[in-house]
Amino acid sequence: MAAQPDLAGAVATVRDRAAGLRLGLEVPGADLARRSRDELVRQVDDYLLPRLGRLDAPLLAVVGGSTGAGKSTLVNTLVGVEVSPAGVLRPTTRAPVLLCAPGDERWFADGRVLPGLARSAGPSTSGERSLQLVPHPAVPAGLALLDAPDIDSVVAGNRELAAQLLAAADLWVFVTTAARYADAVPWELLHTAERRGTALAVVCNRVPPPAMREVMDHLGQMLAEGGLSRAALFGVPEVPLTGGLIPPRAVAPLRDWLLGLAADAAARAEVVRATLDGALRSMSERVPALARAADESSAAAAVLLEDADVLYAAAVRDVDDGVRGGTVLRGEVLARWQEFVGTGELLRGLQSRVGRIRDRVASAFTGRPLPDEEVADAVESSVESLVRAAADRAAERTAEAWRGRPGGAALLGASRTVLARSSEDFAERLRTEVRAWQGDVLNLVSSQGAQRRTAARMASFGVNGAGLAVMLLVFAQTGGLTGAEVLIAGGTSAVSQKVLEAVFGDGVVRAMATQARHELMERVEKLLGGEAERFRTLVLAGAPDPAAAEALRRAAHELELARRASAEVSRPAAAPARPVPPAELPPEPKLSWWRRAFG
Amino acid sequence: MPSGSPALADRLAALDQVVELGRGRLDPPLVEQAARIAGKAGARLRLGAAHTVVAIAGATGSGKSSLVNALAGESVSEVGVRRPTTSAATAVVWGADSAGPLLDWLAVPRRHAAADQPAYAADGLVLLDLPDFDSVRVEHRLEVDRLVELVDLLVWVLDPQKYADAALHDRYLRPLAGHGDVTLVVLNQADLLDPAGLAACLADLRRLLAEDGLPGVPVLAVSALTGDGLDALSKELADRAAARRASVQRLEADLGRTAAALRPVCPAGARTGIRRQDRDALVDALTDAAGADTIATAVDRAHRARATAVTGWPFTRWLRRLRPDPMRRLRLPETPSEAIRTGLPGPSAVQRARVDSALRELTARATDGLPEPWPRVVRQAATNATADLPDQLDRTVAGTDLGAARRPRWELPVGFLQAVLAVATVAGLVWLLALLALDWLRFPEPPLPHVGRVPLPTLLLIGGAVAGLLLAFLARRLAAVGGRRRARAARRRLRRRVEQLAEARVLAPVEEELSVHTRLCAAVARLG
Repeated sequence: MAAQPDLAGAVATVRDRAAGLRLGLEVPGADLARRSRDELVRQVDDYLLPRLGRLDAPLLAVVGGSTGAGKSTLVNTLVGVEVSPAGVLRPTTRAPVLLCAPGDERWFADGRVLPGLARSAGPSTSGERSLQLVPHPAVPAGLALLDAPDIDSVVAGNRELAAQLLAAADLWVFVTTAARYADAVPWELLHTAERRGTALAVVCNRVPPPAMREVMDHLGQMLAEGGLSRAALFGVPEVPLTGGLIPPRAVAPLRDWLLGLAADAAARAEVVRATLDGALRSMSERVPALARAADESSAAAAVLLEDADVLYAAAVRDVDDGVRGGTVLRGEVLARWQEFVGTGELLRGLQSRVGRIRDRVASAFTGRPLPDEEVADAVESSVESLVRAAADRAAERTAEAWRGRPGGAALLGASRTVLARSSEDFAERLRTEVRAWQGDVLNLVSSQGAQRRTAARMASFGVNGAGLAVMLLVFAQTGGLTGAEVLIAGGTSAVSQKVLEAVFGDGVVRAMATQARHELMERVEKLLGGEAERFRTLVLAGAPDPAAAEALRRAAHELELARRASAEVSRPAAAPARPVPPAELPPEPKLSWWRRAFG
Repeated sequence: MPSGSPALADRLAALDQVVELGRGRLDPPLVEQAARIAGKAGARLRLGAAHTVVAIAGATGSGKSSLVNALAGESVSEVGVRRPTTSAATAVVWGADSAGPLLDWLAVPRRHAAADQPAYAADGLVLLDLPDFDSVRVEHRLEVDRLVELVDLLVWVLDPQKYADAALHDRYLRPLAGHGDVTLVVLNQADLLDPAGLAACLADLRRLLAEDGLPGVPVLAVSALTGDGLDALSKELADRAAARRASVQRLEADLGRTAAALRPVCPAGARTGIRRQDRDALVDALTDAAGADTIATAVDRAHRARATAVTGWPFTRWLRRLRPDPMRRLRLPETPSEAIRTGLPGPSAVQRARVDSALRELTARATDGLPEPWPRVVRQAATNATADLPDQLDRTVAGTDLGAARRPRWELPVGFLQAVLAVATVAGLVWLLALLALDWLRFPEPPLPHVGRVPLPTLLLIGGAVAGLLLAFLARRLAAVGGRRRARAARRRLRRRVEQLAEARVLAPVEEELSVHTRLCAAVARLG
């Protein structure tokens, strides 16, 4: 039987797609999905790929079960010598022991089977996971026995290793006892085996001889109820050990069954094929389930991203409203502006070409800031207050919104208090941006001034003053001042507008004001976008790629097609009665929706 | 700890306080756990310490029922080889009292009175044979979970096969790590091991228990089959029943566990409280948002306008009346009255933003170093208070005495002087006009009084006008000084009123939440 390269390729594709799937969002069921993904990847690495590579490799029977069920004793008994230590302390076996015929050693010595485990000749002393390889003449060729750690002891590492080894088995020899056969943990694993189509033998060890009949009947009944009636069932009575081994008589049926399997290549191949087919078949269920989990994760991520986007967009709008409504003018900007105009600095500047120079000289001697610089500070701090409060509010609201979303609270985690405010250096970056904006406005005014005949008049009161007036106009002219304030403030505001209009003309002043506002908003959007990015990065680091689920489904579909095709190729000899032509393949339900989406 | 009821009562009171203060603030599961313990403690204490409820818990097949039967000396629980065997808890009661109310509370309907055991006096002992916790039957596990929370003493029955199962250690023993005083561990089926194996097994079990956080818990090896070790177990149980302390010890252990769960809410050395500068910054931002600048300007100008109306030069001051009064224009009331709605435009976006930032800074600093939920709870308290901020600020402004009604004392005399000067000016003018008319009609010039060399009517006209203008100028300067002073005073009074508003609406709720935290942490500290 040759390996089908397309099948191995399809499996590898599924594996790569699954391994690359990010499921970091703590949505309900994410934990399960992550475990399922890891199991799937590991099963492909440990079992499917090696097995597809060499279908004629020896049958790997993994002896697994509860702690204290006597797995090691059973393995030792089957071989006839003590190769795996048994004892009263639980759990006994910590490093798995692989027993094989001396001729079969080459199959397992390299890293094809269970590539994640290092091979060692003796019991592992280091903490890392390793596989102890023991070739022994008592083991028949074509069969390998693996004594796995327990599945249910307090040592968590054992449990994970056991699950990994069981996923790599061609045959599970499941060992339980009369006291344990109804335990919940082993049954969960048995159901997993059933779902994956793994060939199964159940050994009930340590049964008190008088209860043998009743216990075996009950266990058989439980297996049948669980849909596991095809499992081979063996009972081993509780008898005194002789030299650490169970008397051969007690394990004879199990031994004969295993030896028979080892001797009969066809039966062995059938077991291998059944388990392989079951594992491949289970992919068609597990991979779409994984894709569904990815979809859920993506949906949750979309909701979280939308929260951040909507709330930060609202923050940008708030700033825009604050600027557009002319409200920024109120308060201290207005007071300073009044001072500015009231002291006649601007008028004096207009009257005298040397006004600016005189101010600078005076400033240099007295150390007092130039009057228009004071106004610039006021504008800056108003815009700053507005943007900073908006950024803080957006951060706080996003954090609050996330708290109630699936996966959101976990994402915030310990950095919740930090994320609920704007970032540390935000104030600094904001100040830089506002400064740069003011520079832009000044450039705007001077470029407009250069094109006009008014350039000379511009120079008379300084580009600075005109730029300031435009900045103030940004806030004042669109929405205008309302109510009583107009009466107090309108006069001065009108003066500034009059001055500007005298210099540039009404239309140009409006256009400049609009452009200055647009430039400000552009910078604000960029700043707040950077703040929202903190939240977005968190989500994107944990959420799957939008196309990942789709790619996974496609890979699963390819695998299913390859599996059916290979089943058809390998079947004719075994079951010529029912060749299934490709045209008569039952319609693939998983196909329909992505056809809808892409076809 | 001695049986100390006062201590227990105090701890339970602390627990009630934790529940009361924590509800709506702490994580709901945490509060629910505390409330459940509080409810259970009340119910258990009311039922009295006459009985000691002992749960015999264990995995399926460990021999719980056999052990209970052996202790009772007769078959009270079904024993079988099919797993799982026991599906509902069975109670065995020693002593004359049937413990009916107690078992009703525990909701254990299957009861059995134990035959007299003369070997030891176990009066008041109630044994519960629990279902298993690890079989495929989920309902068994749920029943065990329920009863494990309620009983006084826990006896975990293990066996050499199952003593290291994760189902036992991870699910039960570790979460109950603080319950060493009310936990016994029994290794049943000891007859299956040889003496050396048994010793090794017991040592390993003790090691696992120590890892679970239960060091020093009594571990007894028994065999329900052969009867080995049963006497020691019986005696231990009888002693515990006779001491009548298990129920209180159990509650104390539960309180300890609750306190441990609550402790992360109260980190040591967290500094809380509102800083002076944050408080001032908030009041400043609020004062600004109330329109202090606009109001101060209006007060200043109104004062000057009104002073001019009285003390200005009478021949031109009527012009002043053509311009509206700055304060009336803003509808600022002359006498404070919160019912009046002023004409102020309300806080601007920038002012609101500054109040927001000040508030955020204040709450963030006040809860510095506190874990969730405190930053959120305190922030919430502050935010709730500022929902109707514009209206509150307007009321505050309207209720502030801006000092506009009182006029300065110098105004009236100056006004009177202006009137006298005006009369003198007019009188001089009329006199001169009369002289002009007489001259035109060629009447002889009447005698003209002189002051020095200047004729009196001329002096009256020119002197009155000049003096009036001079006086008006002086009064203006005076009014300007007064206006500035009044503007400052108005701003000061407004700030004081805003401070009261901030105190009542923001700072008090924040302080209240911080004090809740302090009280809650004090309660947690008393808890254990």
